Amino acid sequence: MTTGPEDGGAPRRRLGRVVALHLAIVAALFLAQFLLPAYHYTNVARIMVLATFAIGYNVLFGYTGLMSLGHAMFFAAGMYATGLSVYYFEVTAVPALALGVLAGAVVAALFGLVALRTSGVSFLIVTLMFAQALYLTILYFNEITFGDQGFTLSRALAPLNVAGTAVPFSEPALKYNGAWLVVSLALLVSAALAASPIGRVLVAVRENEERTRLLGYNTFAYKLLALVVSGAIAAASGAAYALLFSYVGATFGSILYSIYPLLWTLLGGAGTTLGPLVGTGVMYYLIDVTSGWTSAYLFVVGGSLLALVLWFPLGIMGAVRARWLRWLP
Amino acid sequence: MTALLSTRGLSKRFGGLLAVDEVSLDLPRGGVRAIIGPNGAGKTTLVSLISGRFPASAGQILFKGRDITRQRPWHRARAGIVYTFQVTSVYASLSCFENVALAAQRRLARGALGQLWLDERALQARVAEVLAQVGLAGAGAQRADALPYGHQRLLEVAMSLALEPEVLILDEPTQGLAQAEIAALSERVREISAQVTVLLIEHNMAVVLDLAQVVTVMDRGRVIAEGAPAEIERDAQVQRAYLGGRC
Repeated sequence: MTTGPEDGGAPRRRLGRVVALHLAIVAALFLAQFLLPAYHYTNVARIMVLATFAIGYNVLFGYTGLMSLGHAMFFAAGMYATGLSVYYFEVTAVPALALGVLAGAVVAALFGLVALRTSGVSFLIVTLMFAQALYLTILYFNEITFGDQGFTLSRALAPLNVAGTAVPFSEPALKYNGAWLVVSLALLVSAALAASPIGRVLVAVRENEERTRLLGYNTFAYKLLALVVSGAIAAASGAAYALLFSYVGATFGSILYSIYPLLWTLLGGAGTTLGPLVGTGVMYYLIDVTSGWTSAYLFVVGGSLLALVLWFPLGIMGAVRARWLRWLP
Repeated sequence: MTALLSTRGLSKRFGGLLAVDEVSLDLPRGGVRAIIGPNGAGKTTLVSLISGRFPASAGQILFKGRDITRQRPWHRARAGIVYTFQVTSVYASLSCFENVALAAQRRLARGALGQLWLDERALQARVAEVLAQVGLAGAGAQRADALPYGHQRLLEVAMSLALEPEVLILDEPTQGLAQAEIAALSERVREISAQVTVLLIEHNMAVVLDLAQVVTVMDRGRVIAEGAPAEIERDAQVQRAYLGGRC
């Protein structure tokens, strides 16, 4: 008999390893700021914010098995709730961020009450439609939202008070550490969720919903919970993006920003806690490097994705888990 | 005496087909009740109505004297009515531990916080206990789909037992099993029925005669006979409807 992660006595050791690994990654991302050259410094800050988006996406898609093509609506909900409150009401960064997360959670809950009555392809279509509706709404009210052109926050956003010193948001170190804080929290929340009894039920819903219902679980409630957590994390990413990179624009509500988190998650490994972070980083640098060589860089990106589907259908971390580290969550 | 579980005029219509036609059934606490009948007699539909997989078209279901006809399936499972699928539907890609843990944590989790964190050691002990009870001790780390078919059926039973059922519905548990496996499974069911009321749908007459104290015969959605196994075997109507030329 093979000795797996669930063999008698092992789960405690496994939990220890999992916690250690996640804390090590959080620490490594923090320490990287002292080593990275300026160019990569900004890149990594951006990757961390976008990876938060993918981590949120993965809670719904990777663990619960619900594929969404509308996550831009949660990202945009966070971005606009934060951005508009800063721009019009000069709300300071921390409460604005909290507003953004709250907006994402509320949008996800309301959306879920309607959309979770469908499943599979119908769910996919409904997510797409709602996200497009929100996108068009942003464009329609362009007197308030400035539509496609968007707006910047640099004028309205008060500097952040860090231990008595006012640090402006143009400061690169604030961008990096702000992004680090957001991605670390998202990573730890998603890992804790995956390890909890709730995480076990979410995976069960993904594998066989009817069976799970007959084991005594109200699967609708669990799916709604996953959607709200997923939406809130995606919104945190959008809110952080607005604050740290000082720009809010309708592009972030477009279909492209619903496809990105799906691609990042698939590339990194759906249903693994670290996959979204890895996938976002790899894709970001893949585009960054290849666009330096050729203007047809999307060919290279497309080719890489094809290779991925052919040889690593589980994504990078999924393959690592299947082949080497079976204890990975 | 009051029955643990009763149905009153229970019916289910699928379009033009009356799959279950005014079935009234009383299931006392304890022992094994078998439901037999030809294919399409409505046995699986009947127990699906009882477990809540489908809503009833008409009639009532009473559990411990309470009307549960409109209760959602997960509430019924929590109340103790547990259905074990005819087609094995274990979580194929999860380990046996995870399969049973899903059922067991439902009972171990106390309150809202129990959903966020529970005592892994207690969960492990409970899962090991249930796996041992069905004869799958030590299989926890194996993926469910790596088990031989007969063991998957046992895993399915283990998942049901971990829910601490009061009524355990077994839908053709011996289907597709070899003779030796059938004997082993029958023995488990007999042990289980010491504590749990078992509602058994079964085609294998030897198993039915061996395990059941009362047999209900269904044909075309209706109950056509009910009685001790020996009487049922002799009943002419049953012979025509079900046992046919085989016996």
